[in-house]
Amino acid sequence: MVHQVNTNRILKGKVPTEESGIEIRKTICSICNPLSHCGIDAYVKDGVVIKVEGTKENPHNEGTLCSKGAASRQYIYHKDRLRSPLLRKGPKGSGQFDPISWEKALDLIAERLQKIRKESGPESVVFYVGYPKWQRPYVKRLAHSFGSPNYCSESSTCFQATQIASRLNYGYFGPPELSKTKCLLVWSGNPFYSNTTMARKLLDARERGMKIIEVGPLITPLTSHADIHLRLRPGTDGALALGLAHVMIENNLYDREFVEKWTLGFEEYQAYVQEFSPHVAESITGVPSELIVKAATLYATTKPAGLLTSASPTVHHTNGVQNHRALTALIGLTGNFDKEGGNYVIPPNYLYIANGLIFREAEFAQSRPYSEMAPRIGEDVYPVWCRLVSEAQAMHIPNQIRTQKPYPIRALVGFGLNYRMWPGSDYMKESLGMIDFLVNIDLFMTDSAKMADIVLPACSSFERSELKTYPEGFVIWTQPVISPLWDSRSDVDIITDLAVRLTPEDPLLPKGYEVCVNWIMEPSNLTVEELKKYPAGRMVENIRRPPYQKYEKAGFPTPSGKMEFTSTILKEVGLDPLPYYQEPKLSPRSTPEVAKKFPLILTTGSRLPHFIHSRTFRLSWTKALTPHPFVEINPQDAGVRGIASGDWVKISTPRSSIKVKAEVTEKVPPGVVNIYHAYPEIEVNQLIDPDYLDPISGFPGFKSLLCEVEKTRGLG
Amino acid sequence: MQLGFSFNFSRCTGCMSCIVACQDQNDLPGGVAFRHVIKLEKGKYPSVKFSFLSLACLHCGDAPCVMVCPTGALQRRDRDGIVIVDRDLCIGCHSCALACPFGAPQYLEDGKMAKCDFCVARLEAGLEPACVRVCPCRALDFGPLEKLENIIAERASRTILESRGLIP
Repeated sequence: MVHQVNTNRILKGKVPTEESGIEIRKTICSICNPLSHCGIDAYVKDGVVIKVEGTKENPHNEGTLCSKGAASRQYIYHKDRLRSPLLRKGPKGSGQFDPISWEKALDLIAERLQKIRKESGPESVVFYVGYPKWQRPYVKRLAHSFGSPNYCSESSTCFQATQIASRLNYGYFGPPELSKTKCLLVWSGNPFYSNTTMARKLLDARERGMKIIEVGPLITPLTSHADIHLRLRPGTDGALALGLAHVMIENNLYDREFVEKWTLGFEEYQAYVQEFSPHVAESITGVPSELIVKAATLYATTKPAGLLTSASPTVHHTNGVQNHRALTALIGLTGNFDKEGGNYVIPPNYLYIANGLIFREAEFAQSRPYSEMAPRIGEDVYPVWCRLVSEAQAMHIPNQIRTQKPYPIRALVGFGLNYRMWPGSDYMKESLGMIDFLVNIDLFMTDSAKMADIVLPACSSFERSELKTYPEGFVIWTQPVISPLWDSRSDVDIITDLAVRLTPEDPLLPKGYEVCVNWIMEPSNLTVEELKKYPAGRMVENIRRPPYQKYEKAGFPTPSGKMEFTSTILKEVGLDPLPYYQEPKLSPRSTPEVAKKFPLILTTGSRLPHFIHSRTFRLSWTKALTPHPFVEINPQDAGVRGIASGDWVKISTPRSSIKVKAEVTEKVPPGVVNIYHAYPEIEVNQLIDPDYLDPISGFPGFKSLLCEVEKTRGLG
Repeated sequence: MQLGFSFNFSRCTGCMSCIVACQDQNDLPGGVAFRHVIKLEKGKYPSVKFSFLSLACLHCGDAPCVMVCPTGALQRRDRDGIVIVDRDLCIGCHSCALACPFGAPQYLEDGKMAKCDFCVARLEAGLEPACVRVCPCRALDFGPLEKLENIIAERASRTILESRGLIP
């Protein structure tokens, strides 16, 4: 009796013991992006996951999880999971499908793609990856082995534009070395909600006395820790950075030696920066001039100092690349580039993670050089993108589907494709309806999957194996903690099975995931067989991390071999070589006539902690935390419009309008409203024109346009 | 001994992981949890202050819920002060909800009360409560009250000494 009571107790408490029969198996979460992908302890009983928690031995998350990872169980076992391959039977978009076998689905896909390749060339088939990102190198290789240059991804709106900007300036880039820096300039990022594994380390650094300067229009959990908060008008980052540079140069706070020896175009830059006195910068950005002086002085005189940027907030503007060039130029100007405790460059080895291990992911993925294939989608419009990014620019897909220039797009194979990501999402949805053949591979029956001719069910990270490396030098080859649910399969197994049919001559891909991973890891002497001996993962000993100041020996990997205040590449393509400041295409200053009717600045795309894009909205644990789509509006703007928290409001732009709830808060400055994206019941991106893009990167201007907000009556 | 949670205001970012970890541990439906995160906003920019408070049952030493419970379903354990509910005895009268100043009692589909039990089965197996384990910024901790008090006192002393340059 006592024994029985005790067993019930440990079962109810989910205590992993022999008696309870609950076993802990190790895996990783892949709901968000590879910068996190926390180690997971899955509590498994009778083949079912009954609880999750963070893995303590994993040095990246040290036992912790975010709210999304903690909700893993609702994600894995969700009723909307796709249960078998599906073949469309109703009209496109109707969501009417017949289940078919894997064999038949893969044969059908191969048959259609081969026919289209024969008729219109391999370039008329597009291969696209959204989330998760782990299958990217394998999809890229499949595309190129097939002969198509058109591998593209969600990175057409995320991260890559910051890479373009920093590559134009330096040729390569690295994040701040958080454990050693004494002053951290956080330029529009909220790692607490977008990169929680860093959040803890950031707070630790703060507690040991690191200074923090925060730049951004919104108040974030970082703001209360910041010594200085520069609250700029959205989209004016470039003007603020030039204003900071003005103070540094004027007051002789810059690193003269570095600038003289290692930079190109400083004189022109200096002359241009002259135009951005603190007062001018204040008039453009709204940041008080005395704070600009204070921040410039703190960042330039505290050594070493690091600059932390995020993947997108600075480049989701129609002037994004130039803004990001202006602010990353401050690193070189102050002599903090590739220095200990500054921004330290380690080349990434696998899936965006840098830890000093040498892999050959890029060689693997680029199985055929671009020179042997047709031009990429967007190559004629975004030449800088195509020089610096090894992908097609996916934002251009809807245009090319419609114009069929320079060649038609007839088929798209998508992994986690979500048309809602595109500005003017309805335009992208309509465009997808115009192509001959659409395949989408996903975990769930999404709105985009409903558009497809064939839908394939992928499984979650709990149900498959995956190679994962961490910045700390920790490596894990995960082993499935449960069998794939229903008839779902691992994304990469789907890819390699397609390769068997489409590219049998490829020496690696048709041989399967493990063969490919061994080839990629070869320079590091790691093998899958060896990693399998450590199901919980292992630290790789004696990784040789690259030295600081690599430019001293090799120069910068830019055309001039120097850090470029004036970009050789931009000059070559006929653009302004300086980090030239231009207003966002829609702003109170650039389009005052539009601003008369639409006086508020609309900014969107920042994160709530429990959602990552569209990925956790269907889970009741996370959705219930903020159940209604909402807009944040300052009390001043809400007051004059008679809006109170909880009211339904209509948000209008020249293109469209949507209804959401209002939250009146000081979190946003007067004149700015902030909407969280990806709620399934509304479509923020439909408010934005499909061509509202940065001309250099093709990135959408999600974070600065114009709108009006008015009180309305509910959702109906 | 009295066990308690500690909460470091300055380290909480309102990420709400603690809520979801509690739901996962206790198989609760969306919208129901034994831990809540309250968002606080005070003042006007630039002197506006945002903070978050993560709150569960405080396992009070003089727990009013225990005193008002008419059936004795609520009991405070002598050995560690954890307040637990015996759901077999609960009649769903909501007296405890009226008495509790912190909103700890929740009511499940069967109409009976449920609340944070400090993950007592985990504690007995040497594990930490689910909310403490998950917390990405280490804002939540737990332990005997005397120990928690010492940690807080040490942290405060350290801050004072550091600010005066008396220790590195």
